[in-house]
Amino acid sequence: MQANTIQSNSDFPPELCVKPLAPVGISGLDVINNAIHKSVWEIFSNNRRNEHSPVLFKLIANDHEFPIIKPKRNSYDWYIPKGILKRNWMHKHLYEIPAVMVIFYDLDWSDLQWNEKMIECASRVQSMRAALEGRATRIVVVLIQTTLPLPAGEDTLAAERAVALCASCELNSQSLFVLPHGDHLQGYATRLENAFYEFAQTYYHNEAKTVKSHKEHLNKNSHQYLYVRHQFKLGFLNELKQDIHTAYKHYNHAYENLLEIRIVDTNSLEIRTIAGFINYKICRLLFLLNLARDAISTFKSHIDRFRSRIGFQELAFEHYAWLSKQYAVFGDTFDEAVKLGLPAVQTQHPGIYYQQAAQQAILRKKACKELCSTVIAYPSPDPLEGVSSMEFYGQRPWRPGKVTSEPPDPHLEARGIQAVQYLEKQVNHSNIIIQLYGLAISQYKTYKCPRTRRHLVLEMADECYDSKDYGKALTLYTHMLWDFRKEKWWGISSQVLEKALICAFLTANVQDYIQLALEILGVNTTTSLDDKRRIYENLKKILKKQIPYGHPKLQQDVLQNAIIIWQPAFTANPLHFSLDMANITACIETRARFLKNVYEVDQNVTVEIYIRSTCPFPLSFAKISVTINAPNCNSEFAVTNVDNIALSFHKDEVKKFIIEFMPDPHDINKEIQIDSINIQLGNSTECSVDLRYSSYDESSKNHPELLHFKRSHNGIDFDNVRPLSTATIVPRESKLNISFDHRWPALVGEWYQIVINIINEELFGIRDLKIEVALDEESSETELSLQPTSACKQPLLVNSPKNLDFNGKVSTHFFVRVHKACKCHVTVRVTYTLDSQKAVLSIKTGVIPLTVVEPFEVSTKYLSMLMSEIDRFYVDEEFGVMNYIRFCSPWTICVEDTLLEFNALQVPPGKSAENSIASQIAGRSFNGEEISAELHIATCQKSTDQGSNLGKYSIKWKRENGISTTTEIAIQGLPCYFMPIGLKLSAPAHGFVRTPMLLRYHVQNRSQHLIQLDVVMQATEAFMFSGYKQFVVSILPNSTRTLQYNLYPLIAGSVALPELIMSCNADNDSLGINKDQLNALIHRSLPTHIYVMPQVKGDPKLPDIVANQKIAVTS
Amino acid sequence: MAVCVAIIGKDNAPKFFACANPEEELNFQYKVLSSLDIVEEKLNPTVKTSTADLRELYLGMLYSLETHKIYGYVTNTKIKIIIIVDSTNTSLRDNEIKSMFKKIHSEYADVVCNPFYIPGEPITSKSFAMNIKSIMLQA
Repeated sequence: MQANTIQSNSDFPPELCVKPLAPVGISGLDVINNAIHKSVWEIFSNNRRNEHSPVLFKLIANDHEFPIIKPKRNSYDWYIPKGILKRNWMHKHLYEIPAVMVIFYDLDWSDLQWNEKMIECASRVQSMRAALEGRATRIVVVLIQTTLPLPAGEDTLAAERAVALCASCELNSQSLFVLPHGDHLQGYATRLENAFYEFAQTYYHNEAKTVKSHKEHLNKNSHQYLYVRHQFKLGFLNELKQDIHTAYKHYNHAYENLLEIRIVDTNSLEIRTIAGFINYKICRLLFLLNLARDAISTFKSHIDRFRSRIGFQELAFEHYAWLSKQYAVFGDTFDEAVKLGLPAVQTQHPGIYYQQAAQQAILRKKACKELCSTVIAYPSPDPLEGVSSMEFYGQRPWRPGKVTSEPPDPHLEARGIQAVQYLEKQVNHSNIIIQLYGLAISQYKTYKCPRTRRHLVLEMADECYDSKDYGKALTLYTHMLWDFRKEKWWGISSQVLEKALICAFLTANVQDYIQLALEILGVNTTTSLDDKRRIYENLKKILKKQIPYGHPKLQQDVLQNAIIIWQPAFTANPLHFSLDMANITACIETRARFLKNVYEVDQNVTVEIYIRSTCPFPLSFAKISVTINAPNCNSEFAVTNVDNIALSFHKDEVKKFIIEFMPDPHDINKEIQIDSINIQLGNSTECSVDLRYSSYDESSKNHPELLHFKRSHNGIDFDNVRPLSTATIVPRESKLNISFDHRWPALVGEWYQIVINIINEELFGIRDLKIEVALDEESSETELSLQPTSACKQPLLVNSPKNLDFNGKVSTHFFVRVHKACKCHVTVRVTYTLDSQKAVLSIKTGVIPLTVVEPFEVSTKYLSMLMSEIDRFYVDEEFGVMNYIRFCSPWTICVEDTLLEFNALQVPPGKSAENSIASQIAGRSFNGEEISAELHIATCQKSTDQGSNLGKYSIKWKRENGISTTTEIAIQGLPCYFMPIGLKLSAPAHGFVRTPMLLRYHVQNRSQHLIQLDVVMQATEAFMFSGYKQFVVSILPNSTRTLQYNLYPLIAGSVALPELIMSCNADNDSLGINKDQLNALIHRSLPTHIYVMPQVKGDPKLPDIVANQKIAVTS
Repeated sequence: MAVCVAIIGKDNAPKFFACANPEEELNFQYKVLSSLDIVEEKLNPTVKTSTADLRELYLGMLYSLETHKIYGYVTNTKIKIIIIVDSTNTSLRDNEIKSMFKKIHSEYADVVCNPFYIPGEPITSKSFAMNIKSIMLQA
């Protein structure tokens, strides 16, 4: 308890640090028994609401006694203040004197016992008023009502009774409130709270006025303390009023007034304390006012002003404690402001102040050590008695309220100092320092100062060491080492290493001791050779299971303790440690590399290990080995066939070791890796230490390419050993002779045969022969197979015998089919095992480049019945399909069959107009650049605007002696239109001069209407003819009319036939046939010429058709 | 005069360290390390201050401690030069500090030009140390 009180000299009282809120007293609520009251109280006291007014609600019982009011002083003439700031004043105004007193009372306007209750309420108000006699506290009545209020002005009863109640309670009407206990309690409560807050502001405004009015009574000579006190009060009251601008102004005045007081030994503590308080308030308000820069500069000048005012030399630690506290509290205030959104920067953040606080705490500790070491006992009688009930802040308990002019009693003074010193001695300074460092470290981390943070951690570790927490210090030291090592600050890291080594010794941490010792012995450390020798000897002792010597500077008792805890560390037998040296720059460096990137599976893998010792003293190892990481198993290979001399190293000696091993055939095509290099120190019967070095990573080096210029001391250039930590195991090279036999280019769509010939040129027979065929890119366009019928899955396993003797031959084949012209590669992979003593898997791969070309191109033309090319079909009109096949491969191709199949499902459905379909080119062979043609007659049965798929043309073909292949080609049709009239001429193939011949014109009506046509047969010189020359033809729906003409040719040769002209009768307009269409129909349907032969000599044989009609032939 | 000059490589490893009082060297090393935090932050390309001129190598004052002032300078190859000056020394203004940095920079350039110096290694040249000492004392 006493230790706590002594710290309170520098600590801040809680009432100073709390955010000032106006206290509002609440009475008349029976929170325990009445549920409604309880809910009302909870609503008010729950300050988690967002728009909470800055007021503090406090339940006040009816019989509560408020602090007694002091008698008013009319004159300050004879008043001499005994101190600056009274200890109870802030507490009084924060918690004891309410700014507003609220009396709750259950009363409805329509209550039956209105009069009685009104009187009771009035009496409550009266008694509260009596209790607060002399205070300006505002009294307010709140009626808790169960019925909801009517809108203002409508409820006359309410208005009347409200006036009556106010009168009987002697309240003005603004002090009466109604709280309907219903649904919107929260909203009512918020409004009431705001009203109370306004009252409270008025109250504090008036209080401040009262304090201000004292000023005129003061004089600067005897009332300096009061100037400070009054300004502080004004500041505090304004803070309660939440007027922080004014509050800041007054605190500032208070601070200025304080500085005017002359500081002597007796009041230095008080002035320092109060200055700290006021400065705290000022800085806090400045942060609240968003004036962070001003806050910082105010704080700095405050510190500068008081830094040198130590006061009593005997109590100098108090001064440092105060400084430390000032820094720490400012750090807290700053941090709080940052949390509220103030942006801090790298060079100005709370951590800086925590760091300063820690440094002051260290000074405090030093001062304490100097001053308090002689104090052994606490003086009696207790000079600090009554420390907790002192009237003023910052005064000595042994001379409270003494005015500065009085000379202190030297004896009492000495005892007081002794008491304070004794208590200071009990303080755990290290804890305070470590805590402050902890705060500073986390801040520096936030503000991106990793190196400063590291420095602070080291200082923290020093403090841990100082407080004999060696374990924690060791942890902190070793954690920080890594970064210094990485940035190569060898000077610092050496110092840290030495400290850590002492900690490791004091905690008997054998493993860390060995690791740290190995690092100190390295070349980079700046430790002196003597120290290194001592550490080296100690290391040797540990390896022999002997307790090492401690650092010569350690005190005897500390050494003694350490030796006690070292003993159990050696109990285990044999002692074994494993150290990970990956990130450590120790005195033993290693490199390991493969000699090649790629090893064949039947070759020895060679690993070179280089080891360098930079230890200034000889080191010898028990074992050197390397672990290899392979996908199948990890294995360790030790260096064998070396004697002990080879395993001992002198300073800067580099030795090379070679390890060879056979790779595992399972690792073929996989990567093996040097995982680690292991060095064993000591011997395995007593104490052995395994040092694990991970494979060297070069990226940490700055300019590895420049290391060539570094001078090496002996034969092996260690620095320039380029590590190669991975190698790939590949299959052995095969001596199989593989050739392929095929006739390229391959043709699209054919099953293309490739023959594989294998000759075994190995020295042994082979077994487990496996031939796999695969395409480089798998696609649906390419297929592989063993049979020329169906495709098989990739990769294709080709049939072959399993075994093949020495010099044996084997031949096998497979097929490939490609569906488009391209270039592709087929890979043939031959896997086998050599039939020697050591079964070795071998692989031989052959690639066949394949060119695929089209065997032919197919093009289609459509012809009218007169063999002229057409661009459209007409329904039911016959047309010719002419398919041309252009052979373009270098191979002779034999067409076995062709077939034109019409696609019945497609629109328009085409169909063949022939009775029997037979291929016209079947069985013929074609060479390159030859073209075949084939004509088929077809009709179309439905009209369509677009030419769509008419059918498919299949060609069954093969190479000479090849396998037959069917190629199918879709035939694209033409648009098809409807023509109601069909026209056809039946005529003999040729006529003879002066021999009659018969022409029949078939006119077909394909529509559902009657068609009438005007037909004119034009005369011509070449013929005489009989038949209608000009007439009207009527054709019934879906019928055909035949017009017959007998022609009598007069001239031989290709003679123009008499022209038939048809024109549409006006009645046929509905059919929509115009003249052009009719002409086009005639043009495409009727031949214009006919061959007429010269007259036959003798008795000509008449064509059947003419002969039957018994037309006489005249000569 | 300056109490300490440090040359730090681009990987933040010390290349050269000179102190007026060699006994305090470790202390100054910590100070230099702390100021490297500020240098790193200033060089951080993500934190762009509008006034940063890429050609200006002089970084100005990094830290103003109660006892010392720390100034920084960064070459284009990210070699950092740090100068520590006593706080009580008011004769050194920005211009003098700048010219000191320039001199040290040119001394450093001379060292790097030496074919026997391996870049990245600590500087052990005696004449370089002498020259730096004289620069420290001159100002």
